[in-house]
Amino acid sequence: MREKKLRNQPSNVQYSSTHSVDNSDARQGGWVRGHHRDAGGYAKEMPKFITGGTFARARAAEVNAMLKAVNKTPGSSYVFAALPKHMRRRAMSHNTKRLPRRLRDVANRMAATKKKKEQAKNKSRKARRRHGNLLLEFNRRQRKNIWLETHIWHAKRFHMVKKWGYCLGDRPTNKCYRPCYRAMSNHCLLQDLSYYCCIELHGEEDKLLAALSQLTSKDTGPTFASAVCLSGCRQGSLTVYKAGQYPSHPLGLVTFLWRPRTQGSALRQLWIWAHPTLKQDLLAELQAVCLCSEAVAMVTPVEAHPTTEPEPEKSSEAKLVPGKKRKRNHKDSSEPSAKKILGDGTRSTTSPVTWKSSLTGIIINDLTMELVRFRLIGPQSHSVLTDTLEAATRCEQQPTHTSSLWWPELCKDESRMKLHQQQADLFHTLKSIFSSSELTAGTVLSLTVDDPRLNLPTKKVQALPFLRLFHRVHIWFCVLGGPLPGHADVPEVCEEKRRELTLRGVPEHCCQSFLWDQSVRNSVTDNKIPEQTLNRMRREVLVPGSRLSPTPLQGRVPILLVHQPGKQLGTERTGWGAGWDLLLPKGWGMAFWVPLVYRGVRVGGLNMSLKHNQNKATPHFPHDYPDCPAGVRFQDEQEAELLNKLKRRPPAKRPNYIKLGCLAPLRCPWQQLAEEWELISRDLREEKTHDGPVEQQVSPLGGATVKPQHFTVLRSRSSLRLLSCWCRPSSSKGQRLRGVGESSPLSHSAASALVEAHRMSVVWVRLSLLSKGKPELHAMLCAPTAEDLRLLAKEQRANGPQEPPHKDHFKSRIGRSKKSQKTASPANDTSQSSDLVIGLWPDPLPSVSSHCSRVMLGWVTQGDFSLSAGCGEALGFITVSGLIHTLIKQPVEHRGTLLLRNPASLHYRFIKVNIEV
Amino acid sequence: MTDPRNPDSASQAIEMDPVEYTLRKRLPRKLPKRRNDVYVNMKTDFRAQLARCQKLLEGGAHREICVHGLGLAINRAINIALQLQASSQGALQLAANTSTVELVDDLEPEDPDEAGEPMTRTRNNSAIHIKVFTEFPTPAKG
Repeated sequence: MREKKLRNQPSNVQYSSTHSVDNSDARQGGWVRGHHRDAGGYAKEMPKFITGGTFARARAAEVNAMLKAVNKTPGSSYVFAALPKHMRRRAMSHNTKRLPRRLRDVANRMAATKKKKEQAKNKSRKARRRHGNLLLEFNRRQRKNIWLETHIWHAKRFHMVKKWGYCLGDRPTNKCYRPCYRAMSNHCLLQDLSYYCCIELHGEEDKLLAALSQLTSKDTGPTFASAVCLSGCRQGSLTVYKAGQYPSHPLGLVTFLWRPRTQGSALRQLWIWAHPTLKQDLLAELQAVCLCSEAVAMVTPVEAHPTTEPEPEKSSEAKLVPGKKRKRNHKDSSEPSAKKILGDGTRSTTSPVTWKSSLTGIIINDLTMELVRFRLIGPQSHSVLTDTLEAATRCEQQPTHTSSLWWPELCKDESRMKLHQQQADLFHTLKSIFSSSELTAGTVLSLTVDDPRLNLPTKKVQALPFLRLFHRVHIWFCVLGGPLPGHADVPEVCEEKRRELTLRGVPEHCCQSFLWDQSVRNSVTDNKIPEQTLNRMRREVLVPGSRLSPTPLQGRVPILLVHQPGKQLGTERTGWGAGWDLLLPKGWGMAFWVPLVYRGVRVGGLNMSLKHNQNKATPHFPHDYPDCPAGVRFQDEQEAELLNKLKRRPPAKRPNYIKLGCLAPLRCPWQQLAEEWELISRDLREEKTHDGPVEQQVSPLGGATVKPQHFTVLRSRSSLRLLSCWCRPSSSKGQRLRGVGESSPLSHSAASALVEAHRMSVVWVRLSLLSKGKPELHAMLCAPTAEDLRLLAKEQRANGPQEPPHKDHFKSRIGRSKKSQKTASPANDTSQSSDLVIGLWPDPLPSVSSHCSRVMLGWVTQGDFSLSAGCGEALGFITVSGLIHTLIKQPVEHRGTLLLRNPASLHYRFIKVNIEV
Repeated sequence: MTDPRNPDSASQAIEMDPVEYTLRKRLPRKLPKRRNDVYVNMKTDFRAQLARCQKLLEGGAHREICVHGLGLAINRAINIALQLQASSQGALQLAANTSTVELVDDLEPEDPDEAGEPMTRTRNNSAIHIKVFTEFPTPAKG
């Protein structure tokens, strides 16, 4: 009996076993072929007769049905599905001519009926690439995430990510991790940091300082008021807190730069540079402390531009199309530069940018995207700069002739020109320096330079230190003795100037720059020579590739060079990663970028700045500030990203973090850890007070009734210095180091006092592995037991202990919930099962500190194999109380040794803790 | 002896209180390196540095190499040079020169607002430059 329907059987046709119930003999009379089991041959009762009519009719119905089924084109499948496999060809559905001819008609018919709805026809490529259309398209694409000026250069070479309202290059598409590292340590690495936000404060010095002092604390190091920074000779950096709440509520890391005092004016100008994630918090706080809440209506046309942009663009386009003189149009030359200015990614285009206070007279200006900031990292960055830039040439002009440009006007002022000459001399002296780390940290040098596009080399060259000859001479002095004839006096002059520069830095009056002046900045931006004009000038040069001269009047740019210190703390790799920051007026980004690249620098993206900070052993802004609002936001994003990444893998290929005993592979619960250690230390203290009354005088000091508040990162320098001394093993070498800043040795009373003062604090540490191993993100830091340390004492390069595997109790629950979901999905059940991811602890975490066999102290926030140290290095946080309790228990020679375990591993490895102040 | 640079004796006499200042030593001034310059330090393994010198000499590219040592590393530089000579069975000769290198220290005040400027001071340290060369060809370029 066949109950089964044919696959493409029309619905009106039925074959049923009973289609001839009435006609039972007809059924019996059906001819059957083949062997039938039950019959053991043919049916026993053969029909005596067949009625021809009924039989034929029945068969006719069957044949009809079959024919219908065959002829009807199936709705869901293609014509070529009818073909046997060996006759099918690639792209048959696309091109019907690849089908055999007999099927073509059907296929054509089908294609006609299936015609997709007509796609809007794109403009031709030529039309799309037309300049105006291209710019419109670019503007549309950066409506949500703003592009930097170097965006197109980057987009061709980098993996771009959309972050913080900008499109930023993350890492280059070619493989150059090691070359970039080599560039940082031997030559020069270039980065575009224009996405950093600049906030300008304008006001009287004492009022500004009074307002800003609420945001900082002297405990953490130099403040806004530190003398060298205040004079404008140095750039400073500090951590900003919410007004008056010093140990708690930090906001983040900022760098700042004061404008040198100008004669005859009591007003000072201050630039605060902050990361875009931090900017809104900082701006609100600054407005609060400066009492600046009156938004000033935007009067500058530049700022009003973005909102009304598309309309005038279109109308001018429409006007211009019929006429052919677009190129000669004067307005057009300034248009591209004006078009590039598009507000920024951290605020909406309509929000105000200036606030002022009638009470204090302070003006806050949001200068985001008004300045371009490039960072050059590496010992040769100054040679790249001296190679690329040339101090501005004077323009020879009649003094009576007035010009609208700023430089010709300036040239008439003799004192200004003298200053410019001094600055140019200083810049020239930079050439005699061998490494950028020789200079005083944070030195600022102001300069006016010629347009660097004027002498672009025809080929990429490697900028090398200029002083090869000079040093040859020097070595002869050293090795052979006696001066070299003819060259004896040359180095002496150079030498004297160089000493002056490295020892005293740049004198104050040389730090004064026109970049601080908004009118000059705007004039320079508006009058930039377009690339096209430059190319035309290049065409007319007699010797191809030579410098363009004379310098056009608009070709002078005020810039600021800011020295970035390298690794300052600690004893290893001092000065690694020093470099220069280059500040430019907006619009000039590409004009400086390409010439810099032509001097053989490498270009790095976001991930290289992370590596730079890691090798330099400094905290990187949103990553290593988990107590700041920006850091918390960053952690949220990171968690979501990691979870996504984890879920993309098939469940069987994911590490089961529950079995590995890792509670938080995606996000570190700092608050919970700090609270737990607070409890543990309280218990320990109570035990001790029961044991002996000796320690009792300590406990009232902290006031034990304080409620556990939010955790903070320890940034007080005196406490950090204590901790850093305690972490070192007291070998002979350690004792010599300790002589520098002597402090109390590690004792119970001193330790408990420190714990008492910083109960909810975590401390930032640098960790280096003693043997092999590569630390990873969110690796766990644990305290070794006494046996572990004995193991280490026996063998210096000992492998660490193993964590016994844990049991996963949640797996069965996930399976069950999935099953129940299949049958029926009640609301509560689905919500529970959606939380459960295989291998991750569901949300209320158990005690993090005591979950594993070793006591947990903290987590790693960045870790990698360090190419500069030659071993795995990590940066992370440890709770202060946990660290101190561990240190006290450890024997003196192993002090500061901890264990590290990667989230996807059961193996502990020994690490050395360094706290550097 | 090489050029004796006269240090500013006035700036040397700063009395500093270790509590109020943090001392940061800058790296000694880097000198450019030819291929045959070897700067000896105390961090790298002695044998590795010796092997490097031997490789340079035996490679045939260089007739002479210069071994430089500063401060604590002077001892080691001498040691390396003597070892080279001893292992060459008299083929190598030494010519040593000493010099004075000026080093820079930064003094950062602990309380930056009141103590005023961070200071820099210079001090001198001794250095040695040993030329290791094969005997017969006259020292080139001299």
